[in-house]
Amino acid sequence: MLRVTDFSNSILTDITFHLNDGENLIILGSNGAGKSTLAKVLCGISYSNSVELFAKELHHLSAKNRAELINYIPPKLEIFDEYISLREFLELSRLDSKLTIEESLEFLGLKELEHKACITLSSGEQQLTMLASALLHNAKLTIFDEPTANLDPQKTLKVAKILAGDKIKSRIIITHDLNLAHKLGYKILYMSNGKIEFFGESKKFFADSSLEKFFGSSLKRIDEYFVVNL
Amino acid sequence: MKYLFIILSLSLLAIAPFFGQIDIDLSKINDITSVEYKLFWDLRLPRVVVAFFTGALLGLSGLIFQSLFRNPMSTPFTLGVASGATLGTAFAIVFNLVSLIALFGFLGALLTIIILFGITSRLKAFETSTLLLVGIALSFFYSAALMILFYLSDETQSYEIVRFTMGSLDVVGFANTLPIVVVSSSLLLLAVNYKKEIKLLLTSYENAFLKGIDVKRVNTLLLVSVSIAIGVAVSVTGPIGFVGLIVPHILKTIYKKSADRLLMPIFFYGGVFLVLCDLISRNLGTTSDIPIGVITSFLGGPFFIYLLVGRKRA
Repeated sequence: MLRVTDFSNSILTDITFHLNDGENLIILGSNGAGKSTLAKVLCGISYSNSVELFAKELHHLSAKNRAELINYIPPKLEIFDEYISLREFLELSRLDSKLTIEESLEFLGLKELEHKACITLSSGEQQLTMLASALLHNAKLTIFDEPTANLDPQKTLKVAKILAGDKIKSRIIITHDLNLAHKLGYKILYMSNGKIEFFGESKKFFADSSLEKFFGSSLKRIDEYFVVNL
Repeated sequence: MKYLFIILSLSLLAIAPFFGQIDIDLSKINDITSVEYKLFWDLRLPRVVVAFFTGALLGLSGLIFQSLFRNPMSTPFTLGVASGATLGTAFAIVFNLVSLIALFGFLGALLTIIILFGITSRLKAFETSTLLLVGIALSFFYSAALMILFYLSDETQSYEIVRFTMGSLDVVGFANTLPIVVVSSSLLLLAVNYKKEIKLLLTSYENAFLKGIDVKRVNTLLLVSVSIAIGVAVSVTGPIGFVGLIVPHILKTIYKKSADRLLMPIFFYGGVFLVLCDLISRNLGTTSDIPIGVITSFLGGPFFIYLLVGRKRA
């Protein structure tokens, strides 16, 4: 489904990995490790000739085909025009989805905000808006960049359920939330200083020995949960 | 309110050709042998048509440039396209190629576009601000070159150059209005056709890219089309500043809608604004018309500042 071969740039070094059809992925790593940079390479925003998507080379795909295959949801909603409303934004995001705008608004509880300008929404509402746009875009592979950052517990739970659900096809989730990563149980890719330090099964990553290796004493395990050792 | 404005504007367009330095006897405008007939059909009406379509084109061009460059200051004028046309025209005046003035004006604009896009093709898709800087640098270069031409020119030629740089809507006969009518209508058609792409570009370049827009192609297509249209307009009317800058801003403040939904209003009211300015310039009672650029800036400047300040307070 996804294959990256020997990619390097000023931030990333020797990135090589692949995902099989139907596999999902969690990308972990410290701030500045190169996670978002990697995401931008995978979706084509940063040009490269090292990415293969569904057995086709990314840089040879037409813009339209590329959009059907891959989508990237950035950590923050960026909108230049101050008057574009939530509904208008979602209308622009709907490519080939069976889901209607109405359904997505209902589903994420955004109905009463639909006519508000996107830039006036709170950061949590913007996160939900972007999630709705991802469902409407419905690409074969969607990369979510920190989808649960800055959310209150209720919204985090709601987003986590959607991320785990079947409304999304294949997904790559970049996060700092180890509990989310653990619960989802997807393959893990751990990055540090632009390099892949770990790529493999969730169970192996969450073994005490490897957690100790990557997080040292900053992390504490309480039953099946992980907390910062304050 | 909205309909009131439309009705007022339409009446303004309807009455505009009937007012000017010389009063027209309405009973004679259909009499082919009369002076009134010539005045009305060969001068006044074509002039209103040119004013409308030039204003419409300038407003629409401003909107497109401001949207694509993410910069409220950017218009085809800030990018040096108009300065290029002015320089070309001045060149024709100084070297006694008066019959080719329009052609040289257009070539000046075209040359600027070629330089600008030659440079852009070396840049990545999202670096539009560099293009803006190049445009500003080019404008300064052209101003310097224009100074040299002034130095080389005699008195009459200098006067002609100054007159051109102030802009003028003098057109004789309908045939001469055609280039402007055609380019501005085509630009409107193109923009309406690319409405969805423009709207996506108004979210963010990355979002437009992810939704399957070939950002670089759409950007280039729109910018080149606007520049060519402006090249044609400037070669006919001279550079008429400020319309492209203020009309989009004013309408955004009033309508409070995203730019893609303002294409038609800006086209229409850009045209109305210039017809109004022209009507004023023709009826101030001076011996000759006050250059149109003077009126647009005189009216537009204070009103624009008023809007900006009022908006901040709100």
